[in-house]
Amino acid sequence: MNETVLRAEGVRKSYDGLPVLQGVSLEVGRGEVKVIIGPSGSGKSTFLRALALLEPVDAGEVYLEGEQVSGLKEKELATHRSEIGMVFQRFNLFQNMTALGNVMVALRDVRRVPRQEARARALEFLARVGLRDKAENYPEELSGGQQQRVAIARALVMRPKAMLFDEPTSALDVELVREVLDVMESLARDGMTMVVVSHELRFAHHVASSILMMDEGKIIEEAPPEQFFSAPSHERTKRFLALVE
Amino acid sequence: MLASFDTHLFWTALTSGPYWRGALTALELTVVSLATAIVVGFFVALGALSRLRRFRTSAWIYNWLFRATPTLLLLIIVWDVIPQQFTVFTHNWFTPFLAAFIALSLNEAAYMAEIIRAGLLAVDPGQELAGRALGMRRWQILRRVVVPQAVRIVIPPTGNEFITLLKLTSLASVISVHELLTAANEQASISFSYREVYGAALVYYLVIVSVLMFLQSRLERRFTFRSRSRGRTAVGLAATAHDAR
Repeated sequence: MNETVLRAEGVRKSYDGLPVLQGVSLEVGRGEVKVIIGPSGSGKSTFLRALALLEPVDAGEVYLEGEQVSGLKEKELATHRSEIGMVFQRFNLFQNMTALGNVMVALRDVRRVPRQEARARALEFLARVGLRDKAENYPEELSGGQQQRVAIARALVMRPKAMLFDEPTSALDVELVREVLDVMESLARDGMTMVVVSHELRFAHHVASSILMMDEGKIIEEAPPEQFFSAPSHERTKRFLALVE
Repeated sequence: MLASFDTHLFWTALTSGPYWRGALTALELTVVSLATAIVVGFFVALGALSRLRRFRTSAWIYNWLFRATPTLLLLIIVWDVIPQQFTVFTHNWFTPFLAAFIALSLNEAAYMAEIIRAGLLAVDPGQELAGRALGMRRWQILRRVVVPQAVRIVIPPTGNEFITLLKLTSLASVISVHELLTAANEQASISFSYREVYGAALVYYLVIVSVLMFLQSRLERRFTFRSRSRGRTAVGLAATAHDAR
């Protein structure tokens, strides 16, 4: 029942001889939500980009539904990237397109969906994040929270096998965090497989199947939320939680 | 004492055939040279930004060679030196206009390449990252996302280049292209009424540049990515950006 959707094995990466990932492994089952926390510079974002196949790794592999997807040629990589949804800290909506255009473009260019159908599907997903009425607005005209919801719709419309979130609320004003977390929670309820880098501990407590602590390029601890928060086994985790809370 | 301004002579010059044709030649030469320079410059800019060393080197050499060579010298080389080397260029089809077009395009392409390179670099790298995450190919990202956003940045300096080029066309008189200033000089040598004949020439330049400036502002508005009341002042932009938050 709990088949593995996304798996990383011994992922290593250095920048200019500086090790950022020192053998990171992860297994995410269908419908699971893994939340990664850790201090800045611990390699969380780099690891997420490696999972999204945006970052070539020095060693290790990434598997999507059992198929090795890392280290392939650019063309195959692009295909697999479209099967993994990625949401960025800074939204990265295409500034020259409306919300609708943002959600449609990859359906048209990558999946070759005819215009009318792509449009209908994009509108459906904009409605899902509550932004049907903002379809014709450009990113510049939307609040940060709305931009991030469009970015989520843009990833979802590709019907990804897993969704990755890289600190999706850390660039948002506090009053806009909730609307984005609500969308993510509803995704989790609907059974989306997710890996989330975030320091929203209440969200993690609520939604996560398990929480992972990263430090110095390694996952040093993984546990279900109850256990993770009440009885972290690592001294480093305890100290970090004390700081974040 | 100064003689009074001869309005009749001024009008005669302004409406004379040589002036019209001269202005038209200058305008044609500017438009075709700039259009060609934009296309060539775009590829030189892509070369300069390429991951492949041989493209970067070729772009560098092009830039170095055609920015270093004075426009006047390049005109002379194309018109006088090349036909001496290759007899095909001595035939009738090789007109002064064509020679001027080649020289000005080659020269201008080097400047445009730098402007376009700066424009492409000014687009937030997060835009390309988001495109890659969706599985879009590099050329798709370039066409759909990066180039449209770079265009907005590139328009004002390109307007400058148009004006510079318009004035440079008068250099083509040395290879016997009959452009506007040639017509004015001929008139001046007949009438010695410098104010009237050069004043008339100035009117043409003013009119052409006015039209250009009008078209430029239209184009800038076209590439400002907002839905409501397109094209506002910088102050208006700041105000609505504030509202949106």
